Amino acid sequence: MQSIDFPMHRHAPGEEVDYVIIGVGSAGGVLLQRLARAGFKVLGMEAGPFWDTERDWVSDEAGSHQLYWEDKRVTGGKNPLALGANNCGKGVGGGSVHWAAFTPRFHPSDFEVYTRDGVGVDWPMSYWDLKPYYELLELEMPVAGPAYYPWGDPHGYAFGPHPMGGVGNTLVRGCTNLGIGVSIGGPVAILSGSRGNRPHCIYRGFCIQGCKVGAKASTLVTHVPDALENGAEIRDRCMVSRIHHDTRSNRVTGISYIDRDGKECFQKAKAVIVSGYAIETPRLLLNSACAGYENGLANSSGTVGKYLMAQIGNVILGRFDEPVRMYKAPPAHALTEEFYETDPKRDFARGFAIQTVGPLPIAFAKQMMVARGNWGWGMRRIMMDYNHWSSFGLLGEILPWADNRVTLSHETDQFGLKVADVSFNLHENDEKLREFGRNKTEEVMRAAGAKEVVQEARFAHLVGAARMGSDPTSSVVDCYGRTHDIANLFVCDGSILPTQGSANPGLTIQALAARTADYLISQGTVIFNSDRRDMTPPPVRPELSPPGTHGVGVPRVANLASR
Amino acid sequence: MSSTSSGRDSVDRRPYDAKSGAPLPQREQPGYYPGFSTLGQKRFWDEATRQKVLDRVHNVPPIRFFLPAEVALLETVVAHLLPQDDRMPSRRIPIVPTIDKRLHEGRTPGYRFAKMPPDGDAYRIGLSAIEHMAKKSYGRAFGELTWREQDELLKSIHDAKPKPGAESVWEKMPIHRFWALLMQDCVEVYYAHPWAWDEIGFGGPAYPRGYMRLEHGEPEPWEVDERRYEWEASRDSVSDPSENEIASHDGHPPAGQGGTH
Amino acid sequence: MNLRQMIRGIAGVAKRPATIVRPADDLGSRWDTFLEKHLPTPLGKEVAEADVHVREGRFQRSLSLMAGASSVLAGLEVSYEHYKGSYGQKVMWTPVVLSGAMTGAGVWGFFNKWAAKTVLRWVSVLTLIDSLVGFLFHVRGIARKPGGWRLPVANIVMGPPIFAPLLFGVSAYLGLIASFLRPEEAPEYIDITPGRLRGIRRFFFGRRVRWTQDIREGRFQKHLAVATILSAFFSGFEALYSHYKNNFRYKAQWSPVIIAPLLMLAAALSIRSPRAARTVLPIMSLAAIVDGGVGFFYHARGVSRRPGGSKTLLYNVLYGPPLFAPLLFAACGVLGLLACLMRRERR
Ligand SMILES: Cc1cc2nc3c(=O)[nH]c(=O)nc-3n(C[C@H](O)[C@H](O)[C@H](O)COP(=O)(O)OP(=O)(O)OC[C@H]3O[C@@H](n4cnc5c(N)ncnc54)[C@H](O)[C@@H]3O)c2cc1C
Ligand code: SF4
Repeated sequence: MQSIDFPMHRHAPGEEVDYVIIGVGSAGGVLLQRLARAGFKVLGMEAGPFWDTERDWVSDEAGSHQLYWEDKRVTGGKNPLALGANNCGKGVGGGSVHWAAFTPRFHPSDFEVYTRDGVGVDWPMSYWDLKPYYELLELEMPVAGPAYYPWGDPHGYAFGPHPMGGVGNTLVRGCTNLGIGVSIGGPVAILSGSRGNRPHCIYRGFCIQGCKVGAKASTLVTHVPDALENGAEIRDRCMVSRIHHDTRSNRVTGISYIDRDGKECFQKAKAVIVSGYAIETPRLLLNSACAGYENGLANSSGTVGKYLMAQIGNVILGRFDEPVRMYKAPPAHALTEEFYETDPKRDFARGFAIQTVGPLPIAFAKQMMVARGNWGWGMRRIMMDYNHWSSFGLLGEILPWADNRVTLSHETDQFGLKVADVSFNLHENDEKLREFGRNKTEEVMRAAGAKEVVQEARFAHLVGAARMGSDPTSSVVDCYGRTHDIANLFVCDGSILPTQGSANPGLTIQALAARTADYLISQGTVIFNSDRRDMTPPPVRPELSPPGTHGVGVPRVANLASR
Repeated sequence: MSSTSSGRDSVDRRPYDAKSGAPLPQREQPGYYPGFSTLGQKRFWDEATRQKVLDRVHNVPPIRFFLPAEVALLETVVAHLLPQDDRMPSRRIPIVPTIDKRLHEGRTPGYRFAKMPPDGDAYRIGLSAIEHMAKKSYGRAFGELTWREQDELLKSIHDAKPKPGAESVWEKMPIHRFWALLMQDCVEVYYAHPWAWDEIGFGGPAYPRGYMRLEHGEPEPWEVDERRYEWEASRDSVSDPSENEIASHDGHPPAGQGGTH
Repeated sequence: MNLRQMIRGIAGVAKRPATIVRPADDLGSRWDTFLEKHLPTPLGKEVAEADVHVREGRFQRSLSLMAGASSVLAGLEVSYEHYKGSYGQKVMWTPVVLSGAMTGAGVWGFFNKWAAKTVLRWVSVLTLIDSLVGFLFHVRGIARKPGGWRLPVANIVMGPPIFAPLLFGVSAYLGLIASFLRPEEAPEYIDITPGRLRGIRRFFFGRRVRWTQDIREGRFQKHLAVATILSAFFSGFEALYSHYKNNFRYKAQWSPVIIAPLLMLAAALSIRSPRAARTVLPIMSLAAIVDGGVGFFYHARGVSRRPGGSKTLLYNVLYGPPLFAPLLFAACGVLGLLACLMRRERR
């Protein structure tokens, strides 16, 4: 539905660009669009393909694996993370192509968990610094949701909520029976009314396989078209292998990449932004070690790769006498954040959310394999009952720990580059939170009327591993994504998050990208020829939104909470 | 597809009717949605999806990764992991060839557990471990065991309490990860097939036509209502216990690997 | 105008004439005599007089008010339906604004003859145009859904409600009619075009004067029957596909689907036969009104029974069974009933 067929500007071979952005995913797409619109010469490098959604995507679970990062990686630790389809995208749009598109904001408390709860770290910025960008991105995607969203900083959505599917109804029923507040029909970055040439959702439930309809927001449909129209170039199927650094000036000079024909190329750039997500970003920095940065580029603090976070993502499944048919409607359509904040009555810090999920048959079979130990005839039997099951996703905050990290393995990938070795362990607070959250979610499922309730432990989302902070000895980048070590090297993607709350990270990642873009634009050419660090907050530039963003939708309920 | 040739005994391996005790007839389409056909809706699918799904149905890939002996053994194992004896032979879903294709192409899910060998090696090592266990515990090759013995041997892997014979293998390769690898690959092939969708009442591809009856589990006009029947697994099978049997590993519940949110 | 007069205005009995002229051929007058005789004394007279007013086209005030009231319903319906569509396009605001304007104009028209003749008329025309434009947008909306018109069933059910804009036009239609009527207190004298002007008008407008004249005199039964057919079709079709979407979970969901074509049939017969207009038409109209009432009850109950019930009331009103849709269906019945009270065109 969304073929982008207008010509793309191509920079001449050997031509120096202003910014090269490594990875055109959630963050990379927004950066590319903003910087191109502001008139910079920008080049996006993307390891995966530039999708023609009608031709390349299918409405089929097993046929969609090419959307995920399937290159070699090693995962270990006490609680090894599943990667690939579980959290890593590849191709223009990156993770936003296969996300479920839940888009809650972080809460104000997320930005100061250390001050409030004595755990994790504080962010080098506050919620209120990011808020204008939340508001912008919620219009740009746009986000559909209730007119009044009560948690965190209460706000409303410009696009109306979605109708409920069977799973949503289960969650609403369970929550209301227990007196727990619930948000219905959003917030999700899925169109509830058509916009431009994007039709609204057809409730087909294949969000995680990529929305062929174009109803679900991905930077591929929301930001990339505008970026190209403003002169940005995207080189797809080009894997960036190294960032080059000049020791004398302590500045980066460009990148090496392996193009689609397997040829290694060099690209000169005045500044480099890494947006490869929480595993590839640290991997690239570590693989770019050089004189002066023997432990990895911009890693004088030793924190590159550390403080990787996933969220607790247990799936709680309940069987109902009446059919549910959970493959209908987008997996993401209702949630509660009632348990988001630290509660002194519980014996752990921070909290969790409960959300709808909608596993298709293969995912469901794998869940049943874990949750009920099914195999053989038992598997055949439980699968014949597929239509009677409903499922919730627990989304719990895991705190940042130094031993959860990305390092380089001795193994190499198809390009001869060292692959990432990911190690992950739950700590006491995380385990307590998981236990409590799981029980609460099961309680909601029972309250909704489920006769049998089972669960599968798992993890969702990734963030961290190149975190931002004000202290250069314990973080990699500052609050605008600029590395503390090198003045013209930036990181902007999920890896810079210092903590993660129990909200899905996509919206926050894109909002941070828009803010970084505003900062870069406000700095003009200073970035390119000086090491000066001006920390003045940039003005918010709504005029840089893609066309058609403003002036539609319902007037929003303004901020109801005071600062 | 040699799932009918495995096991030495001639006992009927079909599931049976819970009331009459008679074996269920083999059907074109088992499950509670008689008459439901996702393939019958293929003209409402988009071209790319139609091609992909039809290719899956009509073009069974050739065996290129496994050796013939391995194929025979794996076929037998898979016939236990996802038995299809209630299906008419012409309507059984080939599983091994598609697993073979993935291993031949070297396609991974995007990660490997630190303690696991690469998937292809894991299959080879695991299959030979199964042979060793059969020899040690029953004194016969796996293919020579009765259906029930085969089922019990496999269940010991499922339970992470393996029958003796391959201790050195399981020391190096976590047994529950090997089980998960096998099982995940099987369900990934079986439940990707339109015949399996018909069996479980899943709507299949849904673009450009989406869904309109979102609530109360109502069927679309082209879907059908559920018509349940009671059945028991074959008496020789141990894979359908009345209680859930979740093996725990190092005190941790096993973790899932699919993407949901 | 004082309060008393106002109330009487609503009942259609302002300034009652001393005697009611009842052409002998008129079925209606026999009906009035019947009403006057058999209903309890004060009521009988008033109802009979209201009937006369309608029959003679002297019910501008009450019809203005009706148009205003029904556009409140239509406005509520359109504003939340468009909210579900997120006001993704600016035109989606127009019916919301216009329904407000229609309400205002209707009320104004009730109080003021001049407003009824001018403001109400032009607001109604505008709204009618808007509803036609809306219809086109909805058709286009369906075309632009994945699969477009190649998947008519799925996309009519899940796309923008195709006939809703035309149904929205019904209250504008009422407003337009009202603007041509005479107020209740007008003299019962039939042909009110001043004789001097009659010839000139004919010269310029030919026969077109006749239909407005007919309306002024309450002679537009056939015309109203056509309107009844159309609105019953729009409303019945909406009921058909939204109940189909719901898989006809309740038997009662068939009722509007069955009644709508019967009402259409009755109205069609009435075009040919005055008798049908006095027999089957009122019966089917009443059936539609009752069914709409019952439907409203079921829809309200459906809303309250949704998951979350009253705790998620706003959402449930939004996505539960549409509360006002059965009332709009009942409105078709009201239209039919009005039609049977009218006199027939002279042509
Ligand atoms: C199943 C699933 C459901 C999810 N649901 C939600 C949800 O509901 N809500 C939510 O907020 N989040 C969700 N997420 C998470 C979300 O998708 C990610 O957090 C987000 O997309 C990360 O954005 P990013 O910009 O940091 O990285 P990405 O979007 O992953 O972009 C990184 C890009 O960089 C490219 N790249 C990496 N390295 C290189 C290199 N060396 N050279 C060239 N290119 C490179 C990659 O190919 C990729 O395209 C979900 C994720 C999954 C897997
Ligand atoms: S459910 Fe909606 S958003 Fe998700 S893939 Fe289908 S059309 Fe797109």
